[in-house]
Parts: sequence; structure tokens; C-alpha cells
Amino acid sequence: MDNKGSKYMLILLTVFCAVLIVLSSIQNGAVDPLRNAVGYVLVPIQKGVNSVGTGIYNALSESRNLKYAYEENKSLREQIDTLTEENNRLKSDTLELSRLRELYDLDQQYMQYPKVAARVIAKDSEKWFQVFRIDKGSADGIETDMNVLCGGGLLGIVTDVGANYATVRTIIDDESRVSAMSQHSADTCIVAGDLMLFESGKLRISNIDKNASIADGDAIVTSNISTKFLPGILIGYASNIQVDSKQLTKSGELIPVADFDNLQEVFVITQKKQALPGALSPLDAEAGTGIAPETAGGEAGEPTNPAEPAAGEVPETGAGEEAASEAADPETAPMGEESGT
Amino acid sequence: MNIRLKKALKRAGIYALLILVCFTLQTGVFPLIPFLSSAPNLLLILTFSLGFMYGGNTGMICGLCAGLLMDLFTSGPFGFYSLIYLYIGFFNGIFTRYYYDEFITLPLILCAVNEFVYNFYIFLGRFLVRNKLDFGFYFMDIILPELVFSLIVTLVVYRLFLMANKKLDVIDQRRGQNAA
Repeated sequence: MDNKGSKYMLILLTVFCAVLIVLSSIQNGAVDPLRNAVGYVLVPIQKGVNSVGTGIYNALSESRNLKYAYEENKSLREQIDTLTEENNRLKSDTLELSRLRELYDLDQQYMQYPKVAARVIAKDSEKWFQVFRIDKGSADGIETDMNVLCGGGLLGIVTDVGANYATVRTIIDDESRVSAMSQHSADTCIVAGDLMLFESGKLRISNIDKNASIADGDAIVTSNISTKFLPGILIGYASNIQVDSKQLTKSGELIPVADFDNLQEVFVITQKKQALPGALSPLDAEAGTGIAPETAGGEAGEPTNPAEPAAGEVPETGAGEEAASEAADPETAPMGEESGT
Repeated sequence: MNIRLKKALKRAGIYALLILVCFTLQTGVFPLIPFLSSAPNLLLILTFSLGFMYGGNTGMICGLCAGLLMDLFTSGPFGFYSLIYLYIGFFNGIFTRYYYDEFITLPLILCAVNEFVYNFYIFLGRFLVRNKLDFGFYFMDIILPELVFSLIVTLVVYRLFLMANKKLDVIDQRRGQNAA
């Protein structure tokens, strides 16, 4: 009797689950209200446990760290000296840059996106997925597709938002793909998470044009043709770039800048790519392809002034288009080969 | 009748609390410990333990609750985890006829099998469909560490569940006698 009952129950619940899976696959966000409601109960618990846990952990590591503090202090002082010197030099460079920008009539300040700090309160315990949850949600102005930074580099993207929490998929997750480019030459590529490279703390770079000049050690930033990622955010440095067996593209590995092992505080950029003034619409980005990156690449490629202007101009799509119209036709023509990807 | 209902409600409350605690530990504590490369799957251990101790119905309900929690937490297709936890609860309930106190070998075997099935399910549903075929790598690198970790935790946690269970039984019996 009981056995038969459980079989019926199993069938019933299986159908229930299957319907849920199909429904949520067809219509994204169908279960969001439910997620939201449960979030009101769960997030405070997770927050509480998390703050107690981090408190204990920090207290423990504090006493241990004190030992190294002296040595660290000494080396940091030395570092300050060199950095001050560098800072002075950079300041003068910045002045020069702003003057040049005025000359170019550019007001691009791509690294000054508005940010919100958030704390990581929960993480997927399975190693299959690199997904975590932060304690800020739509009530704090967070929306899906907002970019998340940590340690000066791109960390991930918000995939799911509740009133008081948001779920972030990191770029090392196996399902993550980011359209990127070399900061130096603006050659486009795809940075994808790969569970097989995860152990060694790396990501995979693929779809680099065979003729592109991306080399080991190049800084890879988010591309301006990406539909979801804001342009010019540093992702990491290329390594081990090799030509693929088909001889058409190159691929390699990427060492990320963000530290994925010890996540506590992250920053969410509250500006979305879609809302960026002068951003190409996704369709344009697909069809018009790399007018902007190619031109920028052409400029950056000039031997007289290397990386310096490229950093400022690459993400400026509007300017890129202007420049494209101004640029001599023959210059864009050979570059067209690269836009194939 | 009323007493039985009360008992059932009380047990349900305790299990709900257990599920919540396991979920919180699993998502909020283990993954944030930096030196832990893998974490035991407490919800899975809880689900199969309850299924094994009390039969398929309890296992299924517990599994469904645990799965729903996981589904609400992650952002994949909704119901993905509920389904596998549901089945784990049900199939471990079949072995409930072999259940007796202090019998730890079968739970350990069940734990290993469950962990493997559960992870294989994730591999099928989330990786194989994206043409990531290297199961050998995923097995050595992800499934095996988690499996071993879960086995060790099962050794301890299963005993705890047993103890809690016995206490509950004793309390229930006393209550029953008092009422009689």
C-alpha cells in the first residue's frame, strides 16, 4: 500500500519537476517572484552566518598575519618610494593625456563607472559551478547583466537579481564567455571559463585571428563590441598563445587579474553596457563589426605612439566611428580582414 | 490521532530546520573557507539518510525541499536539482528494509553511489549538453574529491542523525505513555 503510494507520489513529483524545468527554460524569470520571496528569508540567515564566519576567520588570520606585518611593512615602505616616484611621473602623463584628449575632443572616462560595493555571502559548494551570491539586490539598484569587479579586474556578471540579493556568475565558470580584445592592438578574442584550466587559475582565450598581434603577456580587456560587458575593463594577461591546428585562428590561456580564491568584497558597476551613451546596439555590433576596434587598432599600431593613446581611445565607440570616417579609406580596407571573427 | 499529528508536525519542523542548517553550511560556510578545495554535499547526505531511515516518502519530501532550495539559490533551469534530489530520496527509501541501528556499511556504500549519480547527473545536464566530453577529467578532479569528502562526513553526520533520531523516538514514546 505504502509502496504503491510512494510510486504515485514519485511520478507526480517528477512531472511537477519536469514542468518546472520546461517552464523556466522557455520563459526566463517565470520563477523570479518565488526566488525573491524565499530570498527574504534565506538571505538574512546567510548574511548572519557569513558575518560570524568572516569575523572568526579574520580574527584568526590577524594574529598570524601580525608576524609578517613587520617584514611586510618594510618592503611596503620601499614600494611606496618607487610608487610615489611613478605616481609623479604618471601625474604629468595624465595632465598631458587630458590635454591631448581635449585636443581630440574626447571626454571618455571609461574607468570611472559608478560602482557599488557588495559582500559575498554564499557560494555554490559544488566545484562544477563558480557562482556566488552577494548581499545587494534590486533595492540597491542592481540589475541583471551588470558587471562585477574585484581586485582591479573583471570578476563576473550579475545573472539573477532579487530584492536583497544578486547572483553573480564569475568569468571562470565553465559557461562564461566574454568578448575581449588586446589592449595593445585591439585584436578581438573570446575569453571563456574552462573547468579544466580552473585548477591552474587560468581561463581560455580563443577565436584570435591568425594574423592578430596578441602575444604572451598582453593585457586583455573587455571588448567594445561585447553586448553585456562594459568596454576597457581589464580581465587579465595572455599566456601560451599558439596557432590552432586548423591554422586559421590562435588560442591560448589567460591569467586573470581578479583573485577568485578568496572572495569577500566585490564591486558592482551600476552602469549597464546597453545604457552606455554611444554604445552600439547589439545588432550593430554584430553587423557593423569592428569598425571601432579596427580603427583603434590601426592607430594603436602606429609605431611612434604605442599603447598610450590606445588605452584612452579603444573603448570610445563614438570616437571610433568618427575616426573611421576620418581615416583614410585604404587604411580600413586591409584591416577588414581581421573583422572576420 | 491528535498526538500523532503533533508528533508528525514536530518531526517535520525538525527536518525542515536540519535542511536549512545544511543548506546554510553548504552555501555560506564551506565554500568560503579558502583552504578547502572541495566541500561535502550535506543536503545529499541528509536526503539519503532520511530516505534510508524512514523510507521513500520521507526521503522524497526531504529531497524535494532540499532540491527546491538549491534551485532557488542557483540560476539554472528551475527544477533541475529538485528532480535529482527527489529520486535520491526515493531510491534510498527502497533500502530502508535493510536499515538497523549501528549499521554503517550500507549507508557508506549508498553515499558513494549517490554522490556519483548526483554528479554524473550534473555532468550530463550541464556539461555534456555543451559538448564538454572529457568525463575522465571531471571525475578525477571534481567528483572524486567531493565523494571522498562526503564519505568522511557521512561517517560522522550519519551517527549524529541516528542519535537525534533515537532521542526523538524516546521522547515520542514517553509522550505516548503519558498520554495513555
